[in-house]
Amino acid sequence: MNRLEINLWAAFRGHPVATIGLVGVTFFILLAIFGPLIAPQNPYDQTRLDILDGLLPPMSKLGDGTFSLMGTDALGRDILSAVIYGLRISLFVAFMAVFFGTVIGVTLGLIAALRRGWIETIIMRAVDLKISFPGVLLALMLLAVFGSGVDKIIYALIIGTWASKARLVRAVALSEMKKEYMDFARIAGLSQFHIMMRFLLPNSIAPVLVVLPMSISGAIGAEATLSFLGVGVPITEPSLGLLIANGNDYLLSGKWWISIFPGLVLVAMVLCINVVADRFRDYTNPFLQGKA
Amino acid sequence: MRINRGQIVGIVGESGAGKSTIGKVALGLLDENAVIESGHIKLDDSVLTQYTEQDFAPIRGKRIGYIYQNPMTALNPVLTIGEQLIETIQAHTDKRGQVARNFAIELLKKVEIFDAETRLSKYPHQLSGGLCQRIVFAIAICSKPDLIIADEPTTALDVTIQKAVLDTFKQLAQKENIAVILITHDMGVVAEMCDYVYVLRHGLLVEHGPTQHILMNPKETYSRELMAAIPRVDKKIDRFLVPGIIQNSEGRDRALTFLNRKVDGQNWEQTAPLLSVQKLSKTFISPATLVSSKKSFKAVDSVSFDVFKGETLGIVGESGSGKSTIGRMILGLYNPDYQTDIDSNVIYRGVKISDLKTRAERHGICQSMQCIFQDPYSSLNPRMSAGENIIFAIKAHGVVSGALAWELAGDLMELVGLSRSAVEKMPHAFSGGERQRIGIARALSFRPDFLFCDEPTSALDVTVQAELLNLMKDLQDALGLTLLFVSHDLAVVRQMCDRVLVMKSGEVIESGSTDKVLVSPDNAYTKELLKSMPRFTFDTV
Repeated sequence: MNRLEINLWAAFRGHPVATIGLVGVTFFILLAIFGPLIAPQNPYDQTRLDILDGLLPPMSKLGDGTFSLMGTDALGRDILSAVIYGLRISLFVAFMAVFFGTVIGVTLGLIAALRRGWIETIIMRAVDLKISFPGVLLALMLLAVFGSGVDKIIYALIIGTWASKARLVRAVALSEMKKEYMDFARIAGLSQFHIMMRFLLPNSIAPVLVVLPMSISGAIGAEATLSFLGVGVPITEPSLGLLIANGNDYLLSGKWWISIFPGLVLVAMVLCINVVADRFRDYTNPFLQGKA
Repeated sequence: MRINRGQIVGIVGESGAGKSTIGKVALGLLDENAVIESGHIKLDDSVLTQYTEQDFAPIRGKRIGYIYQNPMTALNPVLTIGEQLIETIQAHTDKRGQVARNFAIELLKKVEIFDAETRLSKYPHQLSGGLCQRIVFAIAICSKPDLIIADEPTTALDVTIQKAVLDTFKQLAQKENIAVILITHDMGVVAEMCDYVYVLRHGLLVEHGPTQHILMNPKETYSRELMAAIPRVDKKIDRFLVPGIIQNSEGRDRALTFLNRKVDGQNWEQTAPLLSVQKLSKTFISPATLVSSKKSFKAVDSVSFDVFKGETLGIVGESGSGKSTIGRMILGLYNPDYQTDIDSNVIYRGVKISDLKTRAERHGICQSMQCIFQDPYSSLNPRMSAGENIIFAIKAHGVVSGALAWELAGDLMELVGLSRSAVEKMPHAFSGGERQRIGIARALSFRPDFLFCDEPTSALDVTVQAELLNLMKDLQDALGLTLLFVSHDLAVVRQMCDRVLVMKSGEVIESGSTDKVLVSPDNAYTKELLKSMPRFTFDTV
């Protein structure tokens, strides 16, 4: 009787666009997981790079005879390989940050709605405080304190994500609290934990799920911004964002492929996630089942 | 269907019968996914069903007026009454400026709004629902229409206001020679208002004829069932004569055995009242803001009553009279006002609820008080299946577990007349009446002695209501339940309750046996309430 059990086949049958999105998301995730096995070269193995292959356009042959689908950068690094490795970092950072940020935010938001009183005041004032700070500035400050690194940027992004989730989930939960089934839960003498996990959470989580893809793309974007500013991921572990930033200098000189390919992958990935999430939301909404 | 000027024709039927659709077709307001398959509507000699959107413009509001169910949403909240009324007058007549304004005042007087001139500068939210509905009516008649379609015009109003509004409608329609199509589910309203009535079901015309004929002597089975399901305030019957008798089954028997096996110490066999409420008050305080000082509102004012085991005590009153607040205090959802000088208590099974400090103590006593809620659409957890809704709480308390619990959910479903195979369905897959049954099964799972029923049938169709009330009586008989039954519907209270309290503005103004209070009341307000109930003006069946 697990309500989170999703029948993939039923959810996506008859929805061609969503199905394409699902295929896309699966593709990118598999690509990220198995990247090192798939990529034509290890772009960060200096011994494999040849400066003579530098800035080759897409569809050229490299010095060692391998074919470069997306061209190379100034160091002769294969863009396709760099994109696959970058994808890993980007997805990992974004997923971790959004996941933990959401767990923390949703928990605090639900507690605020359930307990009211001074607990709610403290949580919501903390949210206000966080939101009144410019996000990039806050992350910059945090990274200045933490130092840079993949784990550090995840912490910084978690701190950037939780507050809006807490605010959103509290607003929904407050309106759910007024419904009669919540009265029942209280009359029935259920514990606060049961009320929160089985009554409040499942009925308040939908709007959060809807904004999750945006959060993920937002997190990817924020991470790219920070990487561009030199406080994000280290240069030894470049993400899609850092690759786009690296290619920026060459855009005006006609070497478009260095930035454009990581950019296209980024757009395609976010689009696929959004489409899948939309379908997922409609499918899990009991009122739309059998209609949408 | 046919309607003449000055005539009031009723269209009755349950939700989903297609009543409102007819009204919408006449005004060309159908949704995009609707197609008129056949037939036509004629206004005098013009065929409306062939009209395009443009052709309708001079018809809508001008020759056919429309009155909506909810007057509060039918009026534009950001314009004053005067602006809305005068705008309509200018759109449909050649009156302008002061003339239009005077005409607006005249219209308001026609619909019996006193103090018409000051009302013109008010916004809809400053007026009551009844006044708003009169204004909607004034807007509808300003162009001297030939036909007014009124879609459940008084459903959202209290009974005393409904009576006054309907009287005005009726008189004006006859005086101005306007044909009225009255769409309603309330047979009492039909009996009072209509000359001729059409009974609809599932989009098909079941029966039609003069009102008296249809109400007293229905020929079709469905009309007969419909009439039999209507609770009557003037006569108490044991059970409604509607189908839907629950078959005996093994699951039902098992459920009854389970429910009759009382938890230790849960039996209250003494002669003292099971529940005693003493001088209970509740004041709601809205905190002071920058612009307004602290406001308080006394919802319940020193109410006392006793409920004895096995009886049904009714509480009637109009909206805002504090009926539900009492129940919510008994159930512990609200804390009653605490005053040192007044001995205010809720005593259940001889125990003062306020003396119970720890959760465990409260738990033992309060589990046997349960609630049946008003709104079947929000009283079930939408993310749990029917079965889980029923047994989740007792599972959480460790009363039952595993497959046994699931079995019990099925048994309880059968007990309330649902199929046990439906336990896995989600709440949205059930109708309102079925959900209410799930709610009852859920309340019963605690093996309660006392059920607080907060208008359990006010959201349901009349035949569904009749079935549900029958079910509640059956369960009460089988389990010896004690009910506190809150309702605004005197007829329902008459059918369900042994004794009744009449409430107004937080105070009990009359109490006594139902037969006494609802037949020969002493209090003037109770008398007015009784008189306002729309009822069959004809003699008994």
